[in-house]
Amino acid sequence: MLPQTPRGFRDVLPDEAAWRASINDDVQDCFASWGYMPIETPALEVLETMEAAGGVTAKPISLFDSDGRVLALRPDVTVPIARLVASRLSSEEGPFRFRYKETVFREEENLRAQAREVTQLGIESIGLVGIEADAEVISIFVEALAACGLRDFTVVICSVDVLHALIAGACMDGGWERAVLSAYHTSNFVELEELSRAEGVADGFGEALRELPHLRGGREAIEGCRAMMGELGCPQVPISLLETWDILEACDVTEHVVVDFSILTSFDYYTGLVIEAYAPGSGTALGSGGRYDTMLASYGRDLPAAGFAFSLERVMQALAEQGELLRKRTPDVVVGGSDSASVFRLAAELRAEGAKVCITAEEDVAAEAMRLGSRRWCTVDAGTGRSWGGQTDE
Amino acid sequence: MSERVLRVAVPKGSLFPESVDLLGQAGLDVTGLDDPGRHLRIRNGDVEFIIVRATDAPTFTAYGGADCAISGHDTIVEAGLEVIELVDLKFGGCRFVVAEPEQAAERVEASYRSLGTLRVATKYPRITKAYHDSIGMQVEIIKINGNVELAPLIGMADRIVDITATGRTLRENNLHIVSDVMESTARFIANPASLRIDRRVRELADTLRGIAADKTPSAPIAGSANPTKS
Repeated sequence: MLPQTPRGFRDVLPDEAAWRASINDDVQDCFASWGYMPIETPALEVLETMEAAGGVTAKPISLFDSDGRVLALRPDVTVPIARLVASRLSSEEGPFRFRYKETVFREEENLRAQAREVTQLGIESIGLVGIEADAEVISIFVEALAACGLRDFTVVICSVDVLHALIAGACMDGGWERAVLSAYHTSNFVELEELSRAEGVADGFGEALRELPHLRGGREAIEGCRAMMGELGCPQVPISLLETWDILEACDVTEHVVVDFSILTSFDYYTGLVIEAYAPGSGTALGSGGRYDTMLASYGRDLPAAGFAFSLERVMQALAEQGELLRKRTPDVVVGGSDSASVFRLAAELRAEGAKVCITAEEDVAAEAMRLGSRRWCTVDAGTGRSWGGQTDE
Repeated sequence: MSERVLRVAVPKGSLFPESVDLLGQAGLDVTGLDDPGRHLRIRNGDVEFIIVRATDAPTFTAYGGADCAISGHDTIVEAGLEVIELVDLKFGGCRFVVAEPEQAAERVEASYRSLGTLRVATKYPRITKAYHDSIGMQVEIIKINGNVELAPLIGMADRIVDITATGRTLRENNLHIVSDVMESTARFIANPASLRIDRRVRELADTLRGIAADKTPSAPIAGSANPTKS
């Protein structure tokens, strides 16, 4: 029987691993250039502790340890970082700016061809509020995706405040409110339309609810939202989104940013800004994020927070879609020969110059260089010394 | 942005003729789609239609194989995948019901009281589970792929959850309706990424919304387009 990895887990071979590392380096450099510091959390968490934060929709992979506790492989990184800030960093004031690359694990049904292990690159901005904090998170998202080498991508933003204001203003009971949220979360805009026509919905609010998922565009979409909310007596609701947009526009970030109120779908713990990123042919979002000012309070520390994460694997799919191919990585030079000490000395000299050098014990150094795809080689023999060989571009 | 082909999944079977009509009315070139023969892909300009089994339309859409599709609401719920339901197209109406054999009510009640659970046969396990969860009733579900009416008649299940249009098939098999589960019509659905990055998906949704708004909703009972049940 062929030994296999568990469904949804896979090995990464050297050429791809090298590509992943180089993308991650570029992204982490981008995060670091905004003053974000690396942080690591454990692969396993106590399931109950993760669930205390609420809002995680992904189903974790859980297991018992020998103490009989139920543990979960971390289903995301946001919640562990919130836990960490509320516990180990409780005596530090903040604000905190963290960046990470972690694998996250999610249970997926069989026959759905979904990975159960996903590599997330992301940031958390904790203790910062206001339009500047929101603009920072959006800008970094755009810059990070560009740093991956993506040319064609869209970062979609909106604010849940508008939906919450409409639901509150509709003056309906809790059952209706939950049904509206559920219709939004399951992206069932047909159901939303029916709910908006329910008897008793306050004048104008039903119409606005129907309109909301279709509001889309640049500045004008926020202006449109403001006009709509203005007629309902709450023009201040989308103002912070508008001011955030102004900052983005001044920094030329808006080329890749679109406002779209149909994306309030993925989580219910967002308290303001919501972000999702898409690329052509990606099928699903590359990543998502937003503001969750109430999450840390569930661990007893009342700090605002925002952040995002995207999947390295999905970004690489999008790169493939735009024509980037996996490159074969080869050593720069292959050295070998009968005089082993001299071979090692030469290799050390070449490495010091920055070359990637493979040492071979094969007699035919040229053949070994060809096999490894290297264009230069050198044979060092006790009698004849160094004899160089090479291949020029055909 | 370079224009990619816009791929539209069209469900074969009962929803097919009206789907083709509607896409034509919406301004798409449906040449060849009305009589596709054995073809599964029909490309007209920058639009490609793919013909899929009705129950697979949400799958093709969720995985990005198609940018958008026409699919029954019931199929979408049963699939449980991430697609965006944009427009009620107001055709293909049908109704989901719980049914049991005539005169079996008392026996089924007694059985539920003593066992604390009932056996329900259905083609739609997810809808069946969600419905019974919502009314707080514990059931064991047997997934069957067709002729569901048989199961309670031969004592394999207490009840069924199935589609009905006129209720005739149920009556012919001496089954009566216990309760309504949900109603369903055809919907226009989109892949989440396609909706956000391809304006043609949004434009098609707007056009279809306009066409559907002029239609009177098909009565879920009389106006069914589902030929497998009458």
